Amino acid sequence: MTAVEKTMGRAFAPDQPEKAWKFSDILADPAIRQRWEKVRRYFFLRESTYDMTRRCNIRCNGCYYYEGEKQHARDNPDAAAWRELMQAEKARGITFVVLAGAEPSLVADLCRVCFDQIPLGAIATNGLKPIASDIGYRIHVSVWGNDETSRRVRGADGMLRRQIENYRSDPRAVFVYTFTRENIDEAGEVMEILAAEGCRATFNMFSAPVGYAGGLDHTPRTLLRTRKTMMSLMDRYPETILFSAYNAVAHTHTLGLHDLYGCPYPRMNPSTDVGLGRSFRQYRTDLTWDRGAACCVPDTDCADCRHYAAGSAVVTARMFRHAARPDTFTAWLDYVDTYLAVWVMGYGKEKNLCNELIAPPGHEIFEI
Amino acid sequence: MTVGIDNITLSVAEVMINELKLEDVTPETFDPDMDLVDEVGIDSMDLATVALVLQDKYGIRIDEDDYPKLTTIRFIADYIEKKLQENE
Repeated sequence: MTAVEKTMGRAFAPDQPEKAWKFSDILADPAIRQRWEKVRRYFFLRESTYDMTRRCNIRCNGCYYYEGEKQHARDNPDAAAWRELMQAEKARGITFVVLAGAEPSLVADLCRVCFDQIPLGAIATNGLKPIASDIGYRIHVSVWGNDETSRRVRGADGMLRRQIENYRSDPRAVFVYTFTRENIDEAGEVMEILAAEGCRATFNMFSAPVGYAGGLDHTPRTLLRTRKTMMSLMDRYPETILFSAYNAVAHTHTLGLHDLYGCPYPRMNPSTDVGLGRSFRQYRTDLTWDRGAACCVPDTDCADCRHYAAGSAVVTARMFRHAARPDTFTAWLDYVDTYLAVWVMGYGKEKNLCNELIAPPGHEIFEI
Repeated sequence: MTVGIDNITLSVAEVMINELKLEDVTPETFDPDMDLVDEVGIDSMDLATVALVLQDKYGIRIDEDDYPKLTTIRFIADYIEKKLQENE
């Protein structure tokens, strides 16, 4: 019997009515209480995202940046303008920045300006050009399969080798393996290499841009196969992979994140009362933003969105509904612990509290 | 259960102060009409935490769609009083 089953007690008995749990009863478990106290210290994080430049040194099939209107915004290379923006962002309460499209490493000076103003954040990069170590953000290095697949889908040779050369032993780096329909079976060889090199990794799901017809998007069968692969790799490389069973459940469901949890980003959430609907902005390279398009991965088809960055906000924001039962709350704590370890410099991942597949509140676990 | 709106207001302020580690304010000096988001600087996760603690304390059910709108201590106290009356 696991700790969660012990805590759940009668709630697992099929012939008994489900117990109505008090939050204080759930927190009476010392392991749950300790994890809760650890993660809640980071509730001050308020995120916005920023496209840094239109330029990229590669072109990937299904790239989010080169979809929709934002790719046509002009670059603003003026460091003073970026400094002013960051100061204004800080003044309105933003404490965490995500520097993304198209390739931030090509404008490292602008990344440094951001870091000087708001010291917590992450940079999404393809990892081919190293980012100077004085820019102390998390670095997310995107991996889309083995080198043969990367050559075909991203048009670049020796990507994993070059990424590892640039970020081996770098405490900022987390390699983000994006599962597509066709690279599921390559994840094992990539994780073996990353583990041998002492790198850390997490998982992402390819989520189709609006109108995408490129063949990398998932089917129910590939979603299920991806989940099984994720679970197997987590078991095999626990020191390497920052993930949890609940991450796997949430990101491989046939329902996308919005249908499972209700996306709180402005693009899908008209409320400006509190939270992301109130504070989140997604700035384009010309430093403008559009509420109607504001989410962490604009131009993704919301129905297909299982993106790791989206989940970091969408699942995390739904604490209230997860706190109704010990099993869902424990799963949520693992998810938040993973999110913080992946995104926040200095946060150390704990051992997952729950290694079982727990259904999202109000839904079943997806099976075929 | 008769608690009284003034007692609820003080109690909500106390929960808010304890859970969110607010400084320089006591339940008695906490302005119940102060906007918790704009003026106190709390966010959705803080509100969710307070809502969970208040559910336990008063034995009521706060709807998930409701707590983001409970943006002053007075709103929260009124909401709790209404729920308590519904439960009577």
